[in-house]
Amino acid sequence: MSSERFSEQLEQIVLKRISEDSLVLPTLPSVVTKALEVLKDPEVAFKQVGTIIERDPVLAARLLRMATSAAFAGGTKKVTLSEALTRLGAKSVRTLLVEATAQKVFVSRDPKIAESMKKVWQHSVAVATLSRDVLALSGNADSEAAYLAGLLHDVGKPVVAAILLEFERQMTEVYNRPFIDSAEWVAVIARTHRVVGVALAEKWQMPEQVTRCIRDSAEYDNADRASLVNIVCFSNSLAKKTGIFAGSIDPDEVDALVMIGRSIIGANDEIIKTLTRGLKERVANLYD
Amino acid sequence: MATILTVDDSRSVRTIVSKQVKDLGFEVEEAEDGVQGLSKLGEREYDLVLLDVTMPNLDGPGMLAKMRENGNKTPVIMLTSESKRSVVSGVMKIGIADYILKPFKPEELRAKVLSVLQGEGGAGEVLAATSEQPAAPAPEPSARVEAGKQFVDVLVVDDMENVHKKLRTMLPAHITLNGVTSAQAALQSCRQRVYRVTLVDTEIPDVDSAVLAQQLKVLQPHAAFVALALRTTNDVLGEVRAQGFDNVLFKPFSQDNVDDFIGQYFENLDLLTAEENVLKAAAFAGRADRMDKYYNRIGEAFAGAINKVAAACFEDLVLDVSAAPTTGDRLPKFLLSAAEQAKQVGMRFAVVGSPDLQKILNSYTETKELRFYPSVSEAQAASQA
Repeated sequence: MSSERFSEQLEQIVLKRISEDSLVLPTLPSVVTKALEVLKDPEVAFKQVGTIIERDPVLAARLLRMATSAAFAGGTKKVTLSEALTRLGAKSVRTLLVEATAQKVFVSRDPKIAESMKKVWQHSVAVATLSRDVLALSGNADSEAAYLAGLLHDVGKPVVAAILLEFERQMTEVYNRPFIDSAEWVAVIARTHRVVGVALAEKWQMPEQVTRCIRDSAEYDNADRASLVNIVCFSNSLAKKTGIFAGSIDPDEVDALVMIGRSIIGANDEIIKTLTRGLKERVANLYD
Repeated sequence: MATILTVDDSRSVRTIVSKQVKDLGFEVEEAEDGVQGLSKLGEREYDLVLLDVTMPNLDGPGMLAKMRENGNKTPVIMLTSESKRSVVSGVMKIGIADYILKPFKPEELRAKVLSVLQGEGGAGEVLAATSEQPAAPAPEPSARVEAGKQFVDVLVVDDMENVHKKLRTMLPAHITLNGVTSAQAALQSCRQRVYRVTLVDTEIPDVDSAVLAQQLKVLQPHAAFVALALRTTNDVLGEVRAQGFDNVLFKPFSQDNVDDFIGQYFENLDLLTAEENVLKAAAFAGRADRMDKYYNRIGEAFAGAINKVAAACFEDLVLDVSAAPTTGDRLPKFLLSAAEQAKQVGMRFAVVGSPDLQKILNSYTETKELRFYPSVSEAQAASQA
């Protein structure tokens, strides 16, 4: 069987599992699920959210660190977890909970894909940051959805990579047969990650517009110029143009997407420079 | 006068494009498909082609390919409702200067047509030096007020209105100030106005000030960004700079800090104006105890200005200090330092000032030899003699 045909079969298996709902997808930790549920209440008591999050010390420490960072000010005095959550606000807490969970999806113990997935995560953070900033061009401050949409637009990639890794182990260790090469790996992931990402976003009960971005943001939607899909598509191309991506890209296609996005989003050269200035450093410093 | 060819199968699009291009002062001709377009290009030279993608007989990519095959290098802007990356990538490979998605806003068409005709090359490589480029200093407002946007000196983003009121009372009346209490209002304001300095509180509830500042920067690329923060034992300036702010203004405000802020962002800009080889010091308009800072800033501005005059190959430097205060010995000290700097770069130095200043300079051994003139014209006449 040719490598190409084999990769097509793998793709069909992944898609079939999705359609049959038999693909094992990463779940939200129960702490996160419960906290997100409580946060749906607009009159939420952060003490209650704090009590839930305290059960996950790593997560609690991460939120405390965020709340006491200078970005949220008051950086010197020690605060309790519930004070930290109050300072962050419900929207930011929701985003940070999903972000912390999503980051784990991009961590692999397998050295073969670990480095690549780290780069995909950095790219995702760059797209999230850009999406939030591009949204500001419309004067819209409700940027959490834009951030999440950018952050999760490639979330299917590590999931597909993990599935392929498992297939590879079975093929090589159990059946002693060769597996697809790295180029085919990338091709299978490129063709299947969006449908897997959508399934994951639905399982995590992400907002519909976030799910739509995962599904559709490979191309612009010129019927709805102000859509989040267009913002994520533009941000994705800008991140790649700035050199923040994993694997290989087609530079001509990236240039085309930037050029189309300039017209759709209404971004001139000056805006693009401001958006991307120092982006690499900002993304690298976030998760050092 | 530049002549533009618009190629589109829609009569209404051709009409709209033609009107807008004519309004810019250019001549325009029309073609309704690629075949007609190529025929027109064979008859005469054009400065720019505005080209649709989907057309009967010969489509845009087909016409573009033929143009380039024939050696025709006229710049082309695609003006189309096609947004598939594969299509746009294809025409980019053949060679286009820019792209406009229909329906388009007149200002986008105007901006891109002018950009290409003025030789800026349209979309170009705008991302090449993004990471390395330092933040631009706040330029003169007149150089950056976008059409239709009102210029305001300061935007204060703080959820407590008292902060806006307090700062307003501490700023001179000529410095204009807008205050907003939420991130949403800040973004709206930055879309509608052009600011020189934006002050962002670091403790707005539910708001990450670093993120908000970054978002506002997208809308105000030339503004300086200053964090409003409480004094702590931390290196607050270092922290806010790490988040992308240019500076910090501490709360509660002290008049000294606010005066420094004014000096940094508003007074230095026109403290020393230059016209060819004549530097003119602005008048001092503040409390008497601020005069030292005035002379410090004017000294800093002079150090930069003298290099520019020297670089322009002038042999004489005229420093007009008629408006500068003569109280105390700050002015003679400054002039002595200025004369020394001029000497170091090989320029002859002349001072223009009031009769009072002449008396003061004559009273000091170190300054009585300075070349002094009562007017700029006399100083220039002397240097040409």
